[in-house]
Amino acid sequence: MNKEDENTPGPMTDLLEFKKHLPKERILLDLALIAAGFVLLAPILNVQRVTDFMIFCIFVLSFDLLYGYMGRLSFGHMLFLGAGAYGGGLCIRYMTKDPLLAVLAGIIMAGLLAMLLGIIIVRTTGACFALINLAFNQVGFFLVLSVLREITKGEDGIGVVPAGLGWLNLGSRPVMFGFVLFFLLLVFYILRRITTSPYGILIRSIKEDEARVKFLGYNTFLYKWLTYVFAGCVAGLAGTLSALNYGYVNPNFMDTHRNVDVIFAVLIGGAGNLYGSIIGGVVYMVISNYLAIYIPRWEMFLGISLLILVFRFRQGIWGFVREQGSRRSVRGEIGVKKG
Amino acid sequence: MINTIIYGLTIGAILYFISIGLSLTFGTMKIVNFAHALAYTIGVYMLVTFLPLVKGNFVIAALISTAVVVPISYVIERFIIRRLYGESLDYAIIATYAVLLIGVDLIKWIWGVNPYPMSDPVGKYLSLGGLTIPVYRIVIVVAAFLLFVALNFFFKKSIMGKIVVAALEDKDGVRCLGIKVDRYFSMVFILGSALAALGGVLYAPITSIHPYMGSMVLLLSFSVVIVGGLGNLNGTFVSALALGLVMSLTARYWPPGTETMVFIVMAIMLIIKPIEV
Repeated sequence: MNKEDENTPGPMTDLLEFKKHLPKERILLDLALIAAGFVLLAPILNVQRVTDFMIFCIFVLSFDLLYGYMGRLSFGHMLFLGAGAYGGGLCIRYMTKDPLLAVLAGIIMAGLLAMLLGIIIVRTTGACFALINLAFNQVGFFLVLSVLREITKGEDGIGVVPAGLGWLNLGSRPVMFGFVLFFLLLVFYILRRITTSPYGILIRSIKEDEARVKFLGYNTFLYKWLTYVFAGCVAGLAGTLSALNYGYVNPNFMDTHRNVDVIFAVLIGGAGNLYGSIIGGVVYMVISNYLAIYIPRWEMFLGISLLILVFRFRQGIWGFVREQGSRRSVRGEIGVKKG
Repeated sequence: MINTIIYGLTIGAILYFISIGLSLTFGTMKIVNFAHALAYTIGVYMLVTFLPLVKGNFVIAALISTAVVVPISYVIERFIIRRLYGESLDYAIIATYAVLLIGVDLIKWIWGVNPYPMSDPVGKYLSLGGLTIPVYRIVIVVAAFLLFVALNFFFKKSIMGKIVVAALEDKDGVRCLGIKVDRYFSMVFILGSALAALGGVLYAPITSIHPYMGSMVLLLSFSVVIVGGLGNLNGTFVSALALGLVMSLTARYWPPGTETMVFIVMAIMLIIKPIEV
């Protein structure tokens, strides 16, 4: 990449313009704001639930990289969440109780799976992409439920109790909160760097028009595959953290019917934007955790809200906020139009 | 072994009924219609509802259930799909999935989540040299062959069929001839949904009936469409029967992997021949 980003015209000039306006402090400020937001939210709601919110936000961020940035809608992203959860869970049960190694194991597990499946999956687009992911998710669900019953203990799942992290006890809620918050900020930082890098511009261009990117001489398959693997790794991280937070892992972590949650979260927050993902994740979790008791028919509510989002509110909350403040020039957005 | 083949052909025949609509909407409108699974499920539940009303006459109940799906699919087409023509494909996928969610929840609301039992409507067995084959399964396979012949006739001889086949090849070209392609697409959509309902009705006696029954079948028929080629009508027929055989053979030797094997075949197919939509 490096040899191209200096003087090639095209998407890169856009980026060079953009880089001048992106001070380092801006990222730090964003990170501090996110951290402050969750730390303030924790005492209001409940520390364990807010930890869960943050894990879901990591998952939404990984999905947004795939859907919002690369324009590939997956209906089977839970597969990687589940793979990460099982990777971490099995590591703790059969190998070592170190939580950091478990996280690593979860990421590696999801990453390897994404590398393997990605070779097949990223060749497709649109509807095929969505459904092939769903098909593999279904296969994964059956694998952990029945075929690998010996290892995964089928429907009962396995308990995940990590050892402490140095002198810190992960069983204590605030420590777990800090542990997850650290990973959320790390993921946000990395994604922020990635999406504003030449590589980020490239995957946005693939979303806009893949054929033209090919004509520019890029190997789009490689970039799509890399993005897919990266999104898988981040989802796997979310899975492991989720298993650590709940203290168990079972096939529900891979349930295909839960894919719609993350799609809903990305849409309501605003696709193709990292802040939108965080907002969407929090909004979805608040709705499903606190308002669900007032909603008697949950699936119907989800369906109708999705229809409203698709027909009337495509920009999402973040997009709406930005439209309202559009007189102020917004520097967080590159000149690529949202599709 | 012959039994296994007959079972495989039955499943293949059912898959053909369901995938033909998917293949047509996929080929013409380039969207995957999750609501297709809804048409299938509604067909089954209508059958369950109407069967006692017509005193167990399976044929009449089947016809009524298929007919009920027609207005429902028209509404879905008119108010959801048609508003998404020419838009990003992802929105169409999400919108039809939303319709599926709403529909399945309605079914759960009206009929409850418990599975319905159903018995073989023919109930006779054909004895053939030591083998007993349920006549009903033979009926299904024959029905699929009849449908294949009828559809071939429809797409080769009738003007509507010809327009649809032409639109599968080149939509804009057909539109340039002054033909309102979208109207034909919506007819194809309704036809496909009705066939899916019919497939569900035929499959109902030999499967378990519950609100989520559509999801798995949708994935399987999607694999059929991928393997057979998007919008390829003869390919869909061949691949439906072939994948049905794959399923029954896998079920014989490795029961947990029945559905998985279909997806593996699809994956191999995609490696050999990637799809460019």
